[in-house]
Amino acid sequence: MKPAKEDMIASLTEELEPVRAFNTRDGMALLAVAAALTFAGVLVFEGFWHGILTGEASAFFWITNGLLALLGLASAGAVIAMASPRVGNRFDAPVWLSAMMAVLPVSAMLSVMPQQHGLDAIVNDMYGMHCLTYSLLSTVLIGAALTAWLRRGATVSLNAAGWFTGIAAGSLGTLAYGMSCSIVSITHLGIWHIAPVVISAVLGRLIVPQLVRW
Amino acid sequence: MIADEATLARLMVAGQKGDKSAYNVLLSEAGLWLERYFRRRVPPHQLDDLVQDVLLALHNKRATYDPERPFLPWLAAIARYRWVDHLRKVYKHESDLLGDNDAVEDSHEDAIAARVSLERLFVQLPKKQAEVIELVKISGHSVREAARRTGQSESLVKVNIHRGLKKLSALVEKAE
Repeated sequence: MKPAKEDMIASLTEELEPVRAFNTRDGMALLAVAAALTFAGVLVFEGFWHGILTGEASAFFWITNGLLALLGLASAGAVIAMASPRVGNRFDAPVWLSAMMAVLPVSAMLSVMPQQHGLDAIVNDMYGMHCLTYSLLSTVLIGAALTAWLRRGATVSLNAAGWFTGIAAGSLGTLAYGMSCSIVSITHLGIWHIAPVVISAVLGRLIVPQLVRW
Repeated sequence: MIADEATLARLMVAGQKGDKSAYNVLLSEAGLWLERYFRRRVPPHQLDDLVQDVLLALHNKRATYDPERPFLPWLAAIARYRWVDHLRKVYKHESDLLGDNDAVEDSHEDAIAARVSLERLFVQLPKKQAEVIELVKISGHSVREAARRTGQSESLVKVNIHRGLKKLSALVEKAE
């Protein structure tokens, strides 16, 4: 039996302690630390591809990683804001950026489809699975940091929070890993550097809501 | 008369800093606001429980209020979240109907309260889903009774309740 409302209010008032009010800068700082550690981990274990500095990186490299950065930041921004709920919150940017991102795998497929054995170039990409695996590993820290942030907050849009956490971790993790990858063709980048984002998004949707429900 | 948005926001900021007297007033005012907010969307005997549940959530999650943003949309998001959760838990065979007092209209409801009201959330549902949630989860009719009244089969009533609650969850922050 719950106490009467007045008793409850008196009791909650009595136990009141000062709290640090929600601030998006705290969330951004947490994200920055997680992303920096992820980039550092990639540099230590996979190394830095110096072709980025010597002009060997193709336009596809810059487009893919630029879009990953934008999608990752937009999604992470949405996740950080979601910790403080509000009727009227809208998070359209990650949705539209995800749609833009889909152009890359479609372009990769369209570029090889007319060729005989064209799909083989994608399926038999000898570095594909390596990039997929290490990109996924690179998502873990960022995903964990964003989930911890959501757990501290009062997330009310659980499924959306799950999607955006997965997309943010997938995009930024793959971006970090991408600094070590020297394969710059659209068929490689458009498939093997986008697949981790999709897988991470699905994992985020499946796992995160269970962890942030309150 | 319930305190206005600016007063509630000021009280909440003071509460976050540990001002007990301001916090006590805030909880009392928020309690009144929540009673009015939920009045037409829960049976009277469940109203107090739900209001207390949200007040407890307000207390536990008070750090998540951003002082730079309005207070009522924050409170309403938490209230909606707890309400959808409450609907999921409602014992489906409870049969108490809403009393006459539920029809009372608040002519002085301010613009913010109107924007964040539960009605705005409910009208986003397809009619068949809203109808069966109203009957079973809010008015307390059995699934069989809801099926008889709406012409839907019992299994369709259950499916529509499930889908409707899922959609309500997704709309907590969106529907203005």
